[in-house]
Order: sequence, then C-alpha cells, then structure tokens
Amino acid sequence: MTNLSKLFFARNPYKTKSTEAFLEAVRENVRFQQTHCPAYAKILAQRGFSPEELQSEADLFKIPPLPTLYFKRNRLLSVPQSECVLTAASSGTRGQKSFVAFDRKTMFYGIGMAVRFFQYYHLITPIPAHYVVLGYEPSGHADMGAIKTAYGVTKFAPALSRTYALRDAGGTYEPNMDDVVRSLERHAKSGFPVRLVGFPPLLYFLVRELERRGVQFRLARGSKILLGGGWKRFGGEAAGREALFSMAEHALGIPRKDMFEFFSAVEHPLAYMRCKNGRFHVPAYARALVRDPATLQPVQNGEPGLLNLITPLVSSMPLVSVMTDDIAIVRPGEDCGCGSESPCFELLGRAGVRGIKTCAAGAAERAQGGGI
Amino acid sequence: MNLVSGKQLSREDARAKLGGLQETILDSLCNGVLERGAVVAACDALSGQIGGDEQVSLLCAAGMSEEKAKRELALARRMLSREYLEERVRRELGDTGEKEFVPSDGKEAVRQVRRPLGVLLHIAAGNADALSVFSVIEGLLSENINILKLPGGGDTFSEMILLELIRLEPRIADRVFVFDFPSADREALERLGECADAVVVWGGDAAVAEVRKRVKPDTAIIEWGHKIGFAYVSGKSVPEDALFGLAAHICDTNQLLCSSCQGIYVDTGSFDEVQAFAERFLGVLEACAARDPLPNDLFRSAQIGLELYTEELESAEAQKAVFRGGNVAAIAYGDSELTVSYQYRTVWVKPLPREKIVRILKPNKNHLQTAALLCGPESEAELTGALACAGVVRITRGDNMSFSYCGMPHDGEFPLARYTRIVSFETGARRST
Repeated sequence: MTNLSKLFFARNPYKTKSTEAFLEAVRENVRFQQTHCPAYAKILAQRGFSPEELQSEADLFKIPPLPTLYFKRNRLLSVPQSECVLTAASSGTRGQKSFVAFDRKTMFYGIGMAVRFFQYYHLITPIPAHYVVLGYEPSGHADMGAIKTAYGVTKFAPALSRTYALRDAGGTYEPNMDDVVRSLERHAKSGFPVRLVGFPPLLYFLVRELERRGVQFRLARGSKILLGGGWKRFGGEAAGREALFSMAEHALGIPRKDMFEFFSAVEHPLAYMRCKNGRFHVPAYARALVRDPATLQPVQNGEPGLLNLITPLVSSMPLVSVMTDDIAIVRPGEDCGCGSESPCFELLGRAGVRGIKTCAAGAAERAQGGGI
Repeated sequence: MNLVSGKQLSREDARAKLGGLQETILDSLCNGVLERGAVVAACDALSGQIGGDEQVSLLCAAGMSEEKAKRELALARRMLSREYLEERVRRELGDTGEKEFVPSDGKEAVRQVRRPLGVLLHIAAGNADALSVFSVIEGLLSENINILKLPGGGDTFSEMILLELIRLEPRIADRVFVFDFPSADREALERLGECADAVVVWGGDAAVAEVRKRVKPDTAIIEWGHKIGFAYVSGKSVPEDALFGLAAHICDTNQLLCSSCQGIYVDTGSFDEVQAFAERFLGVLEACAARDPLPNDLFRSAQIGLELYTEELESAEAQKAVFRGGNVAAIAYGDSELTVSYQYRTVWVKPLPREKIVRILKPNKNHLQTAALLCGPESEAELTGALACAGVVRITRGDNMSFSYCGMPHDGEFPLARYTRIVSFETGARRST
C-alpha cells in the first residue's frame, strides 16, 4: 500500500494507520515537484529549502508556501499538459483567476478521497434525488472549479433531475429562479428527496424569493442542503449563517441536521466540513498552519494569521503547500468541543482592505477583501 | 436620503415622484436661476461652522488621525469661504462681464455670455468623503439645477452639508434633488438622465462605461474618472529632502488618491540603478513612516504581505527585487509599465529613460494625472515637456502631489466651465461702413 493510498483511502478521513505516511508523502511530493517543475525548483533554491529538511512534522512549515495569488499570475505544471485530465479555474471574484490542472494520479486519489470523505458523512447513497444547483450550469465557456465541484456533488446520489439557479445563456449566465421554484413545486410532490447544492448567497436569494411568494415546501425526508463558497454578504458571522439555515428550514422543510457546509479552494481541492461549532476540522491527509503576514513565520495556536494548507494530494502541480488569502485561527481539535479530535481552523475573513476609499485608477478592484 | 423640493422622502415615495420630476424641474427652470451670489453666501455661512471639536471627533471616529482631521476640516472651511469661491469663479470662468463687441469679420455687435447647461445629474462615487456635496456645489456655483444620485451606502457628510445649505438658503431646495436609488435600478437612473442636460459621473472605468451605455446621445457626459499619479526622478544628485517630501506625501495619502504617487520612474535604462534607487528610497520611506505610523490592521497587512511575498517568489524568475522595511516596501522592476501600486506605503520603482517617456506613458491616455518631477534645473524644461506631451496634467514637487490650490484645474479641466455653455447673441448694433 502506498503512502497516498494509506492517507486518502482510509475509511475515517480523520485517522490514518500510519503516522509516518503523511510526512513521507509530502517529502516525496516536494521532491517530485522540485525535479519536474523548474520554476518551483528555483523558488525552493531562492528560499534555501531542501526536501531533506523534512525530518518531522515540526519541519512542515519550512516548505515555502505558494500563495493563491501566485497561481493567479503564474502557471506551473510538473507533468506535460497532455497528461492532465481536468482543468479548473477559481471563481476570480477579484478579477484574477487561478488555473489548475490535474493528472490521472491526482484524480485517482482525489476521487477516492472524496468518496471516503462524503461516505463518512453518509452523503453518498443509492437513493435517487432531484438536484437544485445553487450555482452555474456547466458550459463549454466556463471552467470554474466551483461548477465542476457542484456537478461532482450531484453524483453522490443518482440524479433524477438537475435545475440550475444560474442558467447558461451562451457566453453569459442568467438567473433562473422561476424555474427553480417551479421545479421545487414538482419535486415536493414527487416523494423523492431534493438536494440543494451550491453557494450560500443563492440559497439566501431562493429562500427570500419563496418568502416573497408566500411559498413553503415540505421536501421529502432525506433532502439535504450542501453549501460551499463565500459568505461575504453575511459578514461571515455565525449568527448570519444560522439565520439563513433557519430561514431555509422554514421555507424548504429540511431540518438543520441535514444542512452541510464545506470549505475548499481550487488550489487546495480538499473538502473541509464545518462542524456544529462553526470550525473546519483537518483530515489526516492535510495540515493547517497559520502564519504571521509580515514574517510568514507560524504563529501560536489561537492567534490569527494567514491560513497555509498542506497536502500531498496533487502531483501535477506544486500545490503541496498553499497559502490561502483567508485569515484564520488554528486550534487543537479537543479545544473545539464538537467531539472531533482533529485540529481545526476557523475563518475570520479574507485578506484585503475593508471599506477602502480610493480614486487611484485600478486600485479599488485589487484591494477589496474583508468578510468571508 | 431622498430629497425632493426640500422634503426628505422614503425611497418608495421618491420613486413615485419620478414621473413628475421633469415637470417639477421645468417649473424650477422657469423661475430663473439661483444667482451665484446667493450660493456663495450660503457656502460662506456654512464655512464659518466648520472646524469644531465635534466635527474633529466625527472624522476621528471614521478612522482619521486628529492632525489629519483638523487639516481636512481647515481645507473644507477654506474651500467653502467667500474669498475662495469668488477667486475660483474668476479663474475658472474668466471675465464674467458681458462686454459687447463687433467681430472682425462680422457686421453686428454681439455679446457672449456664460450660461448654465441647465440640469446636471451627478452620479457620485463612494471613494471620497463628501464628494457628492462638492459636486453639487460646483453645479450650484455654475447656476445649474442639480440631481444627485448618492453612492451605494450613502454619503452621510454630504447629506448633512446639503441639508444645512438648504437651511441657510432655502431657495437651494428647488435646485437640488437627491436620490439614493441603487445603481442596479437602471430604469430610475434612465428617468433621472432624461431630466438632465449632462450627466456628471464620478468613479472608476466600470462606472464610467456603464453610464456611457445608459445615457442617451442627446445628453452630455462629463467624466471625472479615476486617475493615476507617479514621480519621475532624474539625476544622481536629487537631494534627500526632496525624496523625504515625496515619502511624506506617500505616507500621508497612503497612495489612495488620484494624485497620489503610486511609483517612481528613474531616468535610466539600468536595472542595477533602479535597484540602487529603490534601496535608497526605502530608507527615506521607512524614516517617514516611523513618524506617521499606520494603525494596525491584520486584513490589510495580510493582503500586502501576500502581495510582497508573491513578488519575492516571482523574483526567482523575473527581473524584480523587493526591498522591505517595517510596514513599507519598495519594489524594483525591470519593466516600465505604469501600474497602480499595492498602496499603503508600498511603492514601485521602474526604469524610464527620458527619451521613452512619451512612448511608454501615452497609452495611459486620460488616466494620467499628477507627476512629481525631481530633477536638476537643466532637465526641467525637457522633462516637463515630455510629461505634458504624454498626457500628465499636473507637475509638482514630491511633497505637493496632493496639494490643491484655489482655481486649480481638475484633471486638466475647469469644472465650472464644463458645467456652462457660452451663449452668443446679437445686440442690434451694426458696424459702421
């Protein structure tokens, strides 16, 4: 059994049989990227890092993390493009997109990981379901990772139908709320569960629309809401999130226990599940560090800083240590109190200047960030 | 805030007034202009109320240092004073006397008179405090009727000042209409546009492009778009105090203004010289920043930290070098592209030999604004000429980049002149033959 198999195919994503497997897999990955991606090799040389320095988990912080911003401005590959079977882009909310490309090996372990992860939460089932995708319809002109992720999620239960809140209009997208509401009316009578999958803001628009129309559904037992992506409009506050879930429970008849929320990034294609205390616990095939933004040195547990995620999943690109633009706090699992022992992080917002007032040409688009 | 004929209305009620707005405005037009003198008197009275401790506290609560709050209030007080406004009118509109003359190729005597365009729709942006009210005051000074579309999120300072102006001069109530419809409410904006002779738009390229799409061809568009400023340094003997002045300006404005220095061009083609200058300037910038520290903000530090770190990583392959200090940075680049900086005291330094100034900068047409010129007297005429030819509209010392004076053109133009037209009419007198 390879290190990657031990890590990504474990039944419990939060436990591994071998504690050495993660470190070895990371070391192998860094070595592979170093020898197959000249630009990455130059970065390691510039930062004075060698994979041999990875003697223990305490050395993981020494791997130079590549920021998501770096992938927005540079394309790095460690395998020929022809060997990549999936490409995706970030949603580019600030005008720049990261492009990633995954080869067969990455997909093999990635799909295995996803199946194990979602099985663990009993989200994979043979009972068919209708899907309402609170996101974009797949299309030849869009390559956002979020579209591909949402489509992937519609395979967790055999799909009876898929309705998209943002319909492909040939080059652009247009809102499709009328269709979504009509399909919910049909699905509510069908007796089959409904899965609503996608972005929180679109769930908000949907439940507001249902409220406005005075419509209330009782969707079949087993119906679920699976959310991922930005909470910016809700200020990232737990109160805002719970208020939305409560509105959704009222409008759709789906109990809170069947609502799930994930964190992921196109440059770090792992799923993190938000626990009942609002934190994301780290699976055994990843590590989360928080770094001081100025010195990039790791900060103490409980102190805020930039979130750095590490995983050996991706072979086709040097995504082994990625610095997100999320501000987070990392804590030991037992401090969370939700029952999970795995370390966890909570998100405080995105790097950026809140409420910036500038009339310098091109500046406002670049600098805005803030709430989640 | 929605304000129609001096009455504050809810957004719904304001929307209901849209259908009759044109008629209301025509009534106001038929009643004649509100003469400039009355507007100046109201502004002057308002000026006298500015600068109190309560106002300083209000600005400090909005994140300004006390010293800066006092400075900004003193500026507002000066800009609304009778002396300032009267001088401004003289400089921007020239001789407003209506002298009769007979053109050299004409037979009849004529008079040429400046008159207001009529009705201005101001589409304000939220990127500067009290921008909305200053735009409206310019409209009033040019004797126009003004419709103001407030920026998303409103503009509290502007709303307060407008209400006070109306209290001081109640006739302003029929010359200022305020709406807070969201920009996405295109129908409402189009209705407002139909009432206007010209739309005055503030904001970035996206806002300007949107207005260009929406406004009908019979309505003029007056654009006050976002601009970019930079410094140009030539010669090795630029004195330390000139650099210190530039650094002080960078720290004072945090590179947020159209006139702010985003980066520094060095009159050289050598990357080594660019790096040497960046390192030298970093020391000056750091010393300046230590006197005027930025308040801590984790989210801003994280954004800039990520950007600087990414630049450092890219320097493994590209011609660039990052020089970091405590909360300041200078990044040397091998290219000459004019870009916005990362702001908040992170300045770029790039090569630009003087003979390439026009070629490199000209493509930034209509975005260029202020350039600080730091050079010896022997180069001044040549460099000033090249910068103006490229499209720069203001050339200053380093410390003065964001300093404004009475009668200063705005982005190369006089607003009051743009808000007026010249009417020529024959007076009946004939040339003697």
